[in-house]
Amino acid sequence: MSLSNLIQNWNSFRTRRPYEGQYDDAPYKWAMVIDLDACIGCNACTVACYAENNLPVVGKERFGKGQAMHWIRIERYWGEGDAMTSEFPDHGAQYLPMLCQQCEAAPCEPVCPVGATHHSPDGLNTQVYNRCVGSRYCSANCPYKVRYFNWWNYPDRAWPNPLELQLNPDVTVRSKGVMEKCTFCMQRLRAGMDKAKTEGRILADGEVLTACAQACPTSAITFGNLADKKSKVARMWKNQQVDLAKDSQEKSEEGIRGYRILEELNTYPSIVYLERVRNLEA
Amino acid sequence: MNYGKRIFLWIVLFWIGSAQVFAEPFVQGGPIGSQTSDGYDALGPVVEQPIEFPHNTHAGRMQINCMYCHTYARRSNVSGIPRLDKCMGCHNLIEGVKDRPRIKKLFEYWENKQPIPWKKVHDLPDFVRFNHERHIQRFYFQEKRPVREVCGYCHGDIASMTTARRVKALSMGWCVSCHQKDHLEKAGSTVTSHGPNDCWLCHK
Repeated sequence: MSLSNLIQNWNSFRTRRPYEGQYDDAPYKWAMVIDLDACIGCNACTVACYAENNLPVVGKERFGKGQAMHWIRIERYWGEGDAMTSEFPDHGAQYLPMLCQQCEAAPCEPVCPVGATHHSPDGLNTQVYNRCVGSRYCSANCPYKVRYFNWWNYPDRAWPNPLELQLNPDVTVRSKGVMEKCTFCMQRLRAGMDKAKTEGRILADGEVLTACAQACPTSAITFGNLADKKSKVARMWKNQQVDLAKDSQEKSEEGIRGYRILEELNTYPSIVYLERVRNLEA
Repeated sequence: MNYGKRIFLWIVLFWIGSAQVFAEPFVQGGPIGSQTSDGYDALGPVVEQPIEFPHNTHAGRMQINCMYCHTYARRSNVSGIPRLDKCMGCHNLIEGVKDRPRIKKLFEYWENKQPIPWKKVHDLPDFVRFNHERHIQRFYFQEKRPVREVCGYCHGDIASMTTARRVKALSMGWCVSCHQKDHLEKAGSTVTSHGPNDCWLCHK
């Protein structure tokens, strides 16, 4: 970055993000809503992500060491109410799909020594594999633990011939020593945005979906453009009374389920979860 | 050490330091297969095509639009290498040149039902996305600049070559050098803007 560029954009570098109305003039701000009441823990989103984003299957042993490369994982929590002591403890299983929260004030971004991760104009937390030197500082600083490091050169073994033909050509096959993370299926968004720009419009709601949202059988994952006030995701954020630029959400009444994970850390995530509701007496 | 000597020493040190720090690794332009002093293939490997296709005849003398053959440039990421039947569509009807050695070779491929194994000249790394469509739509269709100029930004003056060869570095710094320039937003307007510089625009 040149000095003149830095001086010219000084204000935007010094502004605290996010702020109210940050994306009012922007065409895109990608966001998500995940309804935990609808999630049945089937792992279809994880499988779709593996297929779409060239994720290697690392095997049982490395999975046990915590080296799995799943950009979206289903976290299980047990024991709602007195379910654990009952005859059917599975009754109390809860599922939570955990993926990169695309934080507006992402803890991973400022700590990268080489600037391999930065914030894109459409509100995504990007990772550039070529620039990454593998310091793993970003992963250490991520409170959600959704950054994954390539401890091995997986392309050698993960796709033996002819399985390499299944690889998605629009996504880089990462090599040993780089960090990777959920991109909100940037390759799909980019193709859609380029097409829309040629046609002189912005993307319509639901025109492009992430692989996980597309695969979800119960439509628990809603993906869309938060900058477009009429999009489904923007209406859900509004109905759930979640504001992107606030770190604690005031609800006007009981029973509004929307929340963001670890909001008290001031990360301002782009994913809203809808709390699970169960009638334990039933 | 007196003052003059010290200044002289600093100038020498600075000259040595700057020569190492600012050494330019890429050579822009140059003859086919040229390399930099440290052996870097600035312009890609030497490519020999199965048929020495005369771009200078087609695009230069005959003034055929690049996109008559490279049809996908205006609607897709890649510009595409034309299929053999695109060549035959015209050359079947051009009796005058059928006895030329290159055209004979073309008909050989056609009769053997073999595609011509063209080799890629402008090959980008696998981690880079370049969208032909956006560049062509913006500069050719919106701004109505001449096609030789628009394609030439990255490909050089292909219409003066026989087989295409790389004359631009196609490195990231080279791409960014154009994206940083102030371009006119529309032909004839005074408003300028520069190209997008988001990492994920090109890195995938």
